[in-house]
This record gives sequence, C-alpha cells and structure tokens, in this order.
Amino acid sequence: MSGHSSVTLVQWSTLGEAQRTAVHLMPCEIEYNGPAQVSQYLTSTIKDRKQEKTVSFRGRGLRGAELSCPQGYTGLVLKDVNPNASDQEDRTVKVSSTFDKLTYWNLETPPNSDDTLVMSMDWPELAEAIHGAVED
Amino acid sequence: MDLGDFEADNSVSCRLTSEVPDVCRSEDCCLGIDEAGRGPVLGPMVYGICYCPVSRKEDLKSLKVADSKTLTEAEREELFQNLSDAKDYVGWALQIISPNTISTSMLQSGVQLKEVFVDTVGPAEKYEEKLSQRFPGLEVTVRPKADSLFPIVSAASICAKVARDHSVKGWGFTEDLGEVDKDYGSGYPGDPKTKAWLLKFLDPVFGYPQFIRFSWSTAKRLMDDKGFAVYWEDDDEEENGERAAARMKNTSMLTYFKSSTGSTAPGNAHQSHRFFTERRLQGLDAL
Amino acid sequence: MATKKKRTPNTQNSSSSWVAITAESAIDTHKDGDPAFVKLRHPSTDAASLYLFSSGDVGLYEVKAFTEDCHSWFIGQAVQRDGRLLYITPMDPLYLMLPYLVKAATEGKFQPLDQVVMDEEFPACSRLLGCTRSLSSVRHIAEEKEVGSQKFHRYSQEKTLQWLNKKVDRIAAALRRTNISVGEGVKSTTYVRVKAESDASDEDYLRYAHGLVSEYISQDLSRALLKHLQLPELLSPKETEPPSKKRKLSELPVEAAEDFSKFNSSDFARKPPKKMTTAQKTLAKVDKSGMKTMSSFFSPKVKVKAERK
Repeated sequence: MSGHSSVTLVQWSTLGEAQRTAVHLMPCEIEYNGPAQVSQYLTSTIKDRKQEKTVSFRGRGLRGAELSCPQGYTGLVLKDVNPNASDQEDRTVKVSSTFDKLTYWNLETPPNSDDTLVMSMDWPELAEAIHGAVED
Repeated sequence: MDLGDFEADNSVSCRLTSEVPDVCRSEDCCLGIDEAGRGPVLGPMVYGICYCPVSRKEDLKSLKVADSKTLTEAEREELFQNLSDAKDYVGWALQIISPNTISTSMLQSGVQLKEVFVDTVGPAEKYEEKLSQRFPGLEVTVRPKADSLFPIVSAASICAKVARDHSVKGWGFTEDLGEVDKDYGSGYPGDPKTKAWLLKFLDPVFGYPQFIRFSWSTAKRLMDDKGFAVYWEDDDEEENGERAAARMKNTSMLTYFKSSTGSTAPGNAHQSHRFFTERRLQGLDAL
Repeated sequence: MATKKKRTPNTQNSSSSWVAITAESAIDTHKDGDPAFVKLRHPSTDAASLYLFSSGDVGLYEVKAFTEDCHSWFIGQAVQRDGRLLYITPMDPLYLMLPYLVKAATEGKFQPLDQVVMDEEFPACSRLLGCTRSLSSVRHIAEEKEVGSQKFHRYSQEKTLQWLNKKVDRIAAALRRTNISVGEGVKSTTYVRVKAESDASDEDYLRYAHGLVSEYISQDLSRALLKHLQLPELLSPKETEPPSKKRKLSELPVEAAEDFSKFNSSDFARKPPKKMTTAQKTLAKVDKSGMKTMSSFFSPKVKVKAERK
C-alpha cells in the first residue's frame, strides 16, 4: 500500500462559522504552537505611519506593511481536526478563521515591492493564464 | 517636571527643556552634563544638562546641589524644585531615551552589549581633548566623578535622575496589559526586587513590554532560558557569505523543513522554473 | 555569556495548522460533499503531489507554498510556528490527464477515458474525470470517437501541441501585462542589468512562458513544444535560466531614532554601518553602469511594445 490514497477532507460547513482574524507574518521563527497575548503585546503597540507600520518584538524593531489577498482570493486558516492521525488515514481539517488581508514584517528593510512575499502574490494571476480554459 | 510628551508616547525618545534664562543669553555660561539610568534593565536612560552664568557658579552651592548620588529620591525632588525656582539664572535640558529606542537601536547594530555600556569615567583627557577640538572656543573639563566636583554637573545629574524617577514611576505601558505591578525595585539587574519582577512578568512569547531593555543581557538571558526559542535570519553571525547565499536557495532550505511533509522530495532532481524559486514557491507532497 | 539555544527542526505535523490564500471558486460551491485534498501524480516530476478537489469534484486546484526560512505566524491570539503561506490556485485537469493518455497511446487504440485515467498508486486519479472541464475539453488533447452513447479517445500529439501553443501565447500575454521580469541578466532587488535592446524580446517571453508550461508536462513533451514554437534549444543551461539568486539588499542601515552625538558621548556616537553580506559586497563590486534601478521598471503604464520579427 503506497499511502497515496489517503484524503484530507475540508469541513466546508465550518467556513460559515469562521471569524475574520488578523494575521501577521513575522521575520523570525518562534518555536511554539499555541495561544499568545498578541493583542496585548503586539497589536496594541503597532505604530501606523504613512508608508509602513512599526513595532518591536523581543526588542527588535520591525517594519511592516499590509497586503490584501489577490482579486478573487480569500485567506483561510485551516486546522487539523485530529492532529494525531497517522499519515495513512483520512484526515479532516476545518476552517478556523478567514482573512482578506495580512500584515507582514521585515526585520530591517522597509517593506517594498521586491520582498519575496509580495512577489509571490504574482502567482494567482499567472496561474489563471497557465490553467485557465483555452478558447476554441 | 512635565513629562507629558514622553508619557504620551514612551516608545520614542523625547527632549525636555526649561526656558532659557535671559541672563544666560547675555553672559558667559558654564554647563554640566550627566546621565541617569545607564545601568538598570528597565525604563529610559536620561541625559541631563544644566547651565548657568559663570558668575553665578557659587550660587549653585547655595541650592545644595552637591553630590546627587547620596541623595534619596525625595531629596532629589526637593533639589530639583530649588533649581526650578532659580529659573532666572539656571536652565536645563533633558534627553529621555526610551528603552525601546535602546533595545531596537542597540540590537539592530548587532553589538553584543554588556550591561554597563557608557563609561564616563574612562580616559578623561582623551574626551576632553576630543570635545575641545569639536567645540573650539569652549573649555572642556572631563573628570571622573564630575558630579561631586562641580555643582553644575551635580545639578544636571539631579535633573536627569528626577526625570528618570518620574518616567519610571509614571510609565504608561502601551501594551494592553491592564494594571501592571510596578514593584520592580531600582531596575538594576542586581536588585533582587527587579530580578523577581523580571522572572514574574516574563511572557514566553513576547518576553517583556517595551519598558524593558531587551538588549541588556539580563533580559536576554531570561528570555533564552524561560521563553520559547525565537530564531532570526541574522542569528548566525559566524555564517559566512556562502552559507548565507546557499540558505537563500531552495535546495538548502529543505534542510530546515521536514522532507516527508510539506516540501518536494529533496532527492528530486527537478529544478523549478525561476519564477517559482524567485518567489520561494514550492509544490507540496502533503499537508 | 549564555550559550544560545540550539535550533530544533519543526517535526512532522506538529503544527496541524495552515495559512492558505485560496481561490474563491474553490469555496463558492453549492454542491454536496466536502472539498478534499488528495495526492496525485505530478505530470512533470512523477512524484506525489498535493491537489484539491472542490465540492463534487467540480474543480481542481493545486497547492503551492511560499516557503522561506525564519518565519512564523501570529493568527489572532495564537502563534503558528510554521511560517509558510499556501496558495490554492486553479489547475487545469488536462495537464494531469495527459500522461495517462500518452501512456495509453502506445497501444494505438481508442479507449474510454475511465479506463485510461487510472492509477493504482493514486486512486484519486479517476476523480479527475469528474471535473467540469475534463470531459468538455479533452478534445484539445485527444481525438474523439463516439460509438452509440459512449465516447472513446486517443491521444493526439498534434492537437496537444496546438493546445499547448495557445497556452504559451496566453501566458506570454499575461507576462507582458504584469511587471514580471523575463529578460536575461542578474536579477537583484535594486539593479537589473539591462540589455542593449533595453526591453525583453518576444523570444524572451515565449521562452519564459514555455518554461512555465513545462512545469506541468513531461520533458519529452516540453522538447516537442519547443520545436513546435520554433525556438531552438539553448546549448548551455546558463542561457536558459539566468541565475535566480535573489539578493536582498538593505537600504542604508536604519539609524537610531535620535542623534545621540549631540551629547558628546562616545557611546552614542553613530555606530558603523552593519557589515555587508557577501551578496551586497559582490554587487557593490559589479560595474553598475548601464544598470537601471528596479524602481525604473515600475513606472506606471510602461507597456512593452513587442516587435513582430
């Protein structure tokens, strides 16, 4: 048995209940998964300037910008309903939150259009060209 | 002392000045410089200057602004009041450097800081010479223990210390943490009260509020020990340029990610189109 | 000095949570049944790859991940260690059906699709036929014969190449519309080496588009397509793929918010600029005359007029 038969279902019913949530992509890896006092320490101290936002995390100054999801796209946060299931079993994920924009943070450089994350947002439009139906 | 501006936004630094006494504009003046809050791990650092006409130097003595180090907080308050009252010939200015500025500018420069960073008791002659050159026409005196030798420096010291005391006491936490227990002692890392406060208020993800100087090794060590590990891209200072460049490419990034879940199999010779590699886009073989 | 904690790798499934930018069409559905992530055979690499079927298998989507080192997410009041960003984008099922048709073509017979599009290793494969586009568009890549009510198909290289050609044209047009740099030369964040002709040529666009399509077809088909497009094969790999090293250049180091030098104290004198990375040093040495800054490419509405040769 090759193990490629397992399927992960997405509980679409959960989409309706999912809340819009603020998401932030940090320029560091935090070795932890779980609750955190984000609004108490981070959100409440963000400074919003014309071109960018600034905040500090663990003493390091960060510069951030908000990005909207590309046209025709929505942000979803998917959560494994049964994280301990093995790879061979069918799994289920639910939609735990949604977002239509995200904030990403750079360590030192000001956020700009050459940031890899910003560039990665080129993809959906190009995907449409590669995968869209060809006219007769 | 009105610290209103600083209280409004204590994440940036702020300057406070008294009105310039008229007589200081027409007569030669002397000026003393001192600081407060170098050593502590929390709160702002304050640089203070105090000036008065040379002819009134002796009058300062009557204000009893002698050795500020031996004074209590209350005594300092009183002395500052005396200085304020003498505003017809004494002026002062303060630069309050927020702990956030200390943290972000120090840590960003990549220097591994020791706790006593400023050494004003260093080579006094050298500083004196440097400053004299910088400000021709000025008589510069740099001495160790200047605040006990020269009342004007003592006065500056008092201004600085009072400002610091006020700002520490009145610290408005920008963070949304409700009522924060302000029983943090002197703020010196050797102070057991401060140590206890640091231990108690460590958040495993965020560390501390901006009140704390993250660059201070005390805070850093506690975070490393008791907080979750956080890894920044510039953490490996020894990393040579090649490895850094290799880290940017797709292939070696795979070493940081489990190969069985998520990324395309490392043994795969398939090289993605640069559109994808430039944008760090990879296929997945599993969720 | 306290020793830094050793970095621990992110172990399997410890996250169980994913951040995904998803095509709305994958969500807007009134069919029955939950969408499903499945594994299918990648049409180019042959390896197991992750895809998504929307409700009722109406649509097919592929899953890519923006994967960069040293990232984590704050999601509401929580931390997610895994800092990847997934993109769930529409996928043309024909690309996935092609390898099976090609394989069956060796027998030369017309066959029913459901006997061709099958994979023991990837059972979800047969679900491809449920996609709206699969049956209606398969004639782009195969000859069709109808016997009674049943349809039979046989792979047609000729039709496929024409179909792929149209794809390439579509992609090239899309590339021209966006600001994606398709020309040769070192790409860096602030400087782009500009060729004498100053703008990317028709050929550059075609090659780039061909390269993108090739991500979804076999190597053989890719080569055949190149011929079909009348683009000669490039001899050295250096010419086809300009180095994709992305050099992240900082602007001048951020200085402290305050000018501490006012206080005549050596400790707050301006710190020397941060050590340049090797990439920065290399770029500093490069002769930048003739290089335009990146921003000069982003002036609004600069249309690249493609010349018909």
